[in-house]
Amino acid sequence: MSERSAHMSVMTSSAPRVRRMTLRRRRQVAGFLFALPAIALVVGFIGVPIGQAVYYSFTQWNGLTSTWIGPSTWAQAFHNSNLWTALENNALLLLAVPFALGLPLGIAVLLHQRVAGWRIFRSIYFLPTAISWVVLGLVAERFFAYQGTLNSIIHALGFSHVNTNMLGYESTALSALGITFVFTMIGTNTMLFLTGLATLDPSLEEAARIDGAGSWRIFRSITLPHLSRFIQLAFVMTVIALFSALFSLIFVMTGGGPGYATTTMEFLIYQTGFNQGDFGTAALYGLILFVLTGIVGVVQLRLIGSNE
Amino acid sequence: MAEITFDGVTKIFGDDIRAVDELSLHVADGEFMVLVGPSGCGKTTALRMLAGLEDITSGSLSIGGAVVNNVLPKDRDVAMVFQNYALYPHMSVEKNIGFALKIRGDSKSEIKRKVGEAAAILHLTDYLERRPKALSGGQRQRVAMGRAIVRSPQAFLMDEPLSNLDAQLRVEMRLEIARIQRILGVATVYVTHDQVEAMTMGDRVAVLRAGKLQQVDTPQDLYDHPANEFVAGFMGSPPMNLVRCHVRPGDDRVEVDFGDQTIELPWHYTSSHELPASGLDVVVGVRPEDVIITDASSPNTIKTRVERREALGAEILVHLSHLDSSADALANEQGALRDISRRSSLVAKMGPRVQVAVGDVLSVQISPEHAHFFDATTGVTLRKRKP
Ligand SMILES: Nc1ncnc2c1ncn2[C@@H]1O[C@H](COP(=O)(O)OP(=O)(O)OP(=O)(O)O)[C@@H](O)[C@H]1O
Ligand SMILES: [Mg+2]
Repeated sequence: MSERSAHMSVMTSSAPRVRRMTLRRRRQVAGFLFALPAIALVVGFIGVPIGQAVYYSFTQWNGLTSTWIGPSTWAQAFHNSNLWTALENNALLLLAVPFALGLPLGIAVLLHQRVAGWRIFRSIYFLPTAISWVVLGLVAERFFAYQGTLNSIIHALGFSHVNTNMLGYESTALSALGITFVFTMIGTNTMLFLTGLATLDPSLEEAARIDGAGSWRIFRSITLPHLSRFIQLAFVMTVIALFSALFSLIFVMTGGGPGYATTTMEFLIYQTGFNQGDFGTAALYGLILFVLTGIVGVVQLRLIGSNE
Repeated sequence: MAEITFDGVTKIFGDDIRAVDELSLHVADGEFMVLVGPSGCGKTTALRMLAGLEDITSGSLSIGGAVVNNVLPKDRDVAMVFQNYALYPHMSVEKNIGFALKIRGDSKSEIKRKVGEAAAILHLTDYLERRPKALSGGQRQRVAMGRAIVRSPQAFLMDEPLSNLDAQLRVEMRLEIARIQRILGVATVYVTHDQVEAMTMGDRVAVLRAGKLQQVDTPQDLYDHPANEFVAGFMGSPPMNLVRCHVRPGDDRVEVDFGDQTIELPWHYTSSHELPASGLDVVVGVRPEDVIITDASSPNTIKTRVERREALGAEILVHLSHLDSSADALANEQGALRDISRRSSLVAKMGPRVQVAVGDVLSVQISPEHAHFFDATTGVTLRKRKP
């Protein structure tokens, strides 16, 4: 009896001493504390530079000294035809995205079914992933060159009068760049899709086969819906790579030319800043690219979120 | 609707894993056939061969009279219920059930009508819009059933469809599946390792062991006349008591030695069974419910000692050891060791009100008409034919 009352008194006295937060509140606090390091990193390494870029876009800056000139850079920049060319090139390169997703998807499905020779093929598609894009660019440059591999192949096939020089013409250089980009993305995206396929319950496919489905129907009704998340992820990664990782390819393959035929936003930033010494305008272009990439990311997050 | 015939069907995985060995089995049109056996005996493999998901190494398999060894699953027109249900996760219940019909090319209204009917039979009407993820285990199970019955296939194949459900739901669905199968009259092959399911659901039950068919019979015949020691021990819970003893078939009776005690069984066993010559070993089988406690004064009893007592509510399982003269001495010794060192050799099933305690010495009789005899080396029944 006395033991019990003692216990009771502890219970009642403890209530005012410890100010109880609700569970929800405590979770919020804990969540914030855990996120703090990440928030600090994001602010430090992304937020601050973006702020700086905004500031510099209002200045005349040669890399050493900056002078505030107000929004005049902004007014001029949109009259610069190079900006529009670069934006157009970026838009055109987006046409490569379906291929950068479709080819890996096909390859992954075939590899998943253990088609003959899948082991060898697995190494082949994976190889580019492990190689620097600079090297890939050099290889691609040799491939498309006038005396390069592509023409050798065409000649070997018996079309000796045909000679291509895709990188040499404004009309085809961008296509060559797009093809190279697709090739460099195959490894990563195939891996991503293979991972997705590995998580597909094989009994679903068996159930579908018994339900009367053929291969194509199984792909459409079972495999593809299962992979939708992975395809979305691959889409985001591919578009972001397209906007922000093509630099090394362009640098070694075309240098942005002929003319401005392969100059993308990314490359334009480099040219404006380092070739023309106009870091203020370059900072502005950087902001534009950031916004474009950001839009893709947000749209994507929305799509993924709406699937929940 | 069709009959199913396994004719010497063998499945070898890799080089030497004989998952199914020379299986010959006929399932009549409309029949409910249960495949039962311990884990790894080849039940799933047999079913998957029937579905076309697994190649047949040798033998022939026919559905509706046509050999289907090389027919693709999609052209076999059988429906299968998977153990994990394998519901399409991104489709609603309605789409799941209607998937096969859609592929088959049924019209939209036709699909809607058939899915509606199936859903009504399975009490799923309120869940048609839901995804499988938002269903309980029992509801998922019913969707899997719905996917099978909506097609009116040649045959239903079910691989342990109830094993993921809790005990109560299992009893319910057991009746439900049997009821639906009877209404639809579609030949069904049902795999389970649960002998209650086997006994209650099957028109006939096929017992497999290590890929080999042991016996096919109606549940009652399987229980009353097991073809060998394995079936005897496998069917029934607790399993049949199997005791190796000497028999001495005589002119008017059969004497069986349990240790140095002897009981007499009726003479007719010598005509219905191929009993060995006097003094040789046989395995005598007695179901736990056929071990009867009597008082010491009645004739033809053996003296046993209660080693363990398991009260199951409706019945009590009493584990008994028969007392040899040597063991008698041991039984009189005091000490804890005695209790754990002795193995019981008979299990008796008794009514819940029987008063027994560990250590009691009981006189038991064997129900004279319900003894089984098996060959001591091969384990095959010595019964000549079904009475
Ligand atoms: N794909 C496979 N490759 C190799 N061996 C296999 C394969 N599938 C099954 N086996 C083997 O074949 C035998 C029969 O397996 P099966 O799955 O048919 O047993 P089961 O009777 O269904 O058992 P359970 O009651 O545990 O489901 C087992 O020994 C198993 O290891
Ligand atoms: Mg199995």
